[in-house]
Amino acid sequence: MAIGSLANLTYWYPGSREPALSDVSTLLDDGLTVIAGPSGGGKSTLLRVLNGLVPHFHGGRIAGGARVLGLDVIRTPTRDLARSVGFVFQDPELQTVYSTVDREVAFGLENIGVPTRMIAGRVEEALQAAGIGHLVGRTVRTLSGGERQRVALASSIAMRPQLVVLDEPTSQLDPDGAALVLATATRLVDEGLAVIISEHRLDRLLKAAAGLVLVGGGRVERADPAIWRPPSAAGPSRRMSAPGSETWSLEGATAGFNGQPVVEDVNLNGRAGEVVVLNGPNGGGKTTLLRLIAGGLAPLAGRVQRRPGRIAYLPQNPIAVLHRPTLRAEVRLTLDRSGDHELPEEILNALGLLHVADRYPRDLSTGERQRAALAAVLPGTPTMALLDEPTRGMDVAARDALVSLVTRLRERGAAIVLATHDSDLTLALADRIAYVANGRVFERVVETVQP
Amino acid sequence: MNARGVAAWSATCLFIALSTSNPAYKALVLAATLSSLAASAGLRRIRGWLTAVILIATFATLLNFLSAHLGATVLFELPPQIPALGGPYTVEAVTFGFTAGITIAAAILSAAPFSLLLASHEVVDALPAALSRTGTAITASLNLVPAVATSFTQVTEAQRLRGWRPRGPRSWSEILVPVVLSTIEGSIQLAESMEARGFGSGPRTAARPTRMQRSDWLLVAVSALALGLFAISRTTGWAADWLPYPTLAAPAIDPRPLAACVLLFAPVLLWRSGR
Repeated sequence: MAIGSLANLTYWYPGSREPALSDVSTLLDDGLTVIAGPSGGGKSTLLRVLNGLVPHFHGGRIAGGARVLGLDVIRTPTRDLARSVGFVFQDPELQTVYSTVDREVAFGLENIGVPTRMIAGRVEEALQAAGIGHLVGRTVRTLSGGERQRVALASSIAMRPQLVVLDEPTSQLDPDGAALVLATATRLVDEGLAVIISEHRLDRLLKAAAGLVLVGGGRVERADPAIWRPPSAAGPSRRMSAPGSETWSLEGATAGFNGQPVVEDVNLNGRAGEVVVLNGPNGGGKTTLLRLIAGGLAPLAGRVQRRPGRIAYLPQNPIAVLHRPTLRAEVRLTLDRSGDHELPEEILNALGLLHVADRYPRDLSTGERQRAALAAVLPGTPTMALLDEPTRGMDVAARDALVSLVTRLRERGAAIVLATHDSDLTLALADRIAYVANGRVFERVVETVQP
Repeated sequence: MNARGVAAWSATCLFIALSTSNPAYKALVLAATLSSLAASAGLRRIRGWLTAVILIATFATLLNFLSAHLGATVLFELPPQIPALGGPYTVEAVTFGFTAGITIAAAILSAAPFSLLLASHEVVDALPAALSRTGTAITASLNLVPAVATSFTQVTEAQRLRGWRPRGPRSWSEILVPVVLSTIEGSIQLAESMEARGFGSGPRTAARPTRMQRSDWLLVAVSALALGLFAISRTTGWAADWLPYPTLAAPAIDPRPLAACVLLFAPVLLWRSGR
């Protein structure tokens, strides 16, 4: 049974000449529907049509028609659609209104005027449905990313919607957290809800999906989830030369905040032309370790040594580095400062961003912004490249482009450290893996990739 | 501790601190806010606030000392040809500046319990129904304030590693632009999330309606008494104004407005026992 339909829908964001969705006509079925496609292709925009954020919240121009659960999206405000359509966003940190779990889950119920005497029961029911009944009373900021995202899911389903839409809900989660969120989403389908989810981790979802919608270049087509296969990721990259001399080292290093250690007594090093991957759960200390290596954080104890030279650092929040009027200017800034004789177009082409070189970087989609930030920090030949979750929100093609770029840097002799949950990226690039959890680091060598 | 009781006390503190020019009453309000916060939150938690108000008060004092060349008691004098800075530097000017500093510090610390002692949802729950939408929106925005500090750290670190160095005011645009834009984008994302959960769709209910305890009612009553007494003192002239110019003199102190200020110390007893 169709729960929604789009008829010749075209949508332009405010100030944009190119439509984000172009003449889209499709039906959306009951059960689990997966939305797949390259980053920047229009997936998030399509999902926002389903609860009316597009066009009611974002503005812009819209043509054609869209109906969801019998409601005309273009005539029904989001706040009214919210009673029927729940929505979970990508970033679990930026969708929290209240500081405690139960109050956060109650927020939507308060908004739609559910009587006070019924709220506690509905909150408990939603927390159980999301598999987080044990989190009642917890402070939101003490939760892991996976737990936070399930709180967001519980907050949505507490309103008893008929449809729940999830926009890349696992893009910032470790594998365990992601598995829990996806398992919860598929369980909701078993309980009779319609779920539409946009994801890059497709393998498990496709097996449970009733429908598949492919979105790219603002166009949409349906496919059979039983037949369609996602593009496969690149395998391990071939090493052309052995790693060189030591470029950085931590000796008994402890780092943290306000005197409280986050990682303790770490002994680790990296050599020129070597890729060290920091793995581990959300909140385990990967970012702290990366900042310690970069010099952004002073050690509380122990020693940190680095060979002099340029450090290319991609922070967890990629937009922290984007401030120039065009992407080309961002890349040029780094090249001018480093003195590297390279054209900005070289790295933009390598990351598939040449077509947006003259656009304002912050106007790009989440996945494109991630690549834009990589392009801004990685051009030329840095001595060290330290990348925090570099594949966040990236599709397979973009990840493969990143693998090629990092491989090239490795061959040029850069010492590379990646903090990532991405097992495909780890498989493709890691020379050594350091598992970071509970403030401790356990190292292992990836023998298959050694020269 | 109920936010309505806190609001009654804070409003009275603000009224007294801002409605009189008499430094004795202002200083008493400052002492009441400081001791109430120290008793309830502890000195360690209010250290940051103390540092901030000391800096602001020092700045206010210095600004008036350097810019107001008025008063009879001259400490030293700079040649009048020096633009802005030339002229006499007086005890009266530094005293007036210090009084302004006390006023600002008292006002800031009067509002501090909302941040230090109450969770955001406690403030929202205490608002009357007519203000609930605005209150929720403000609270959600306030939740983003820590994000500004985090964003500043992230951006500064990332840009430093990209070669940025502070070279004059223009160079700071590389830091401030991403910080401001990230914060705005965070606010937009939060607003989007609120909208998607039906915010603004009609009258709101509350998961836990707020209940006033006896100590909350007592604080409201004491605050109302202090407010009334000080308002009458202002009207009748018992709480006389004070100006250090042209010659410094001690402020007049009357027992009735003084008693109103002393009542503001009530939270030292009520909040200590309540938490």
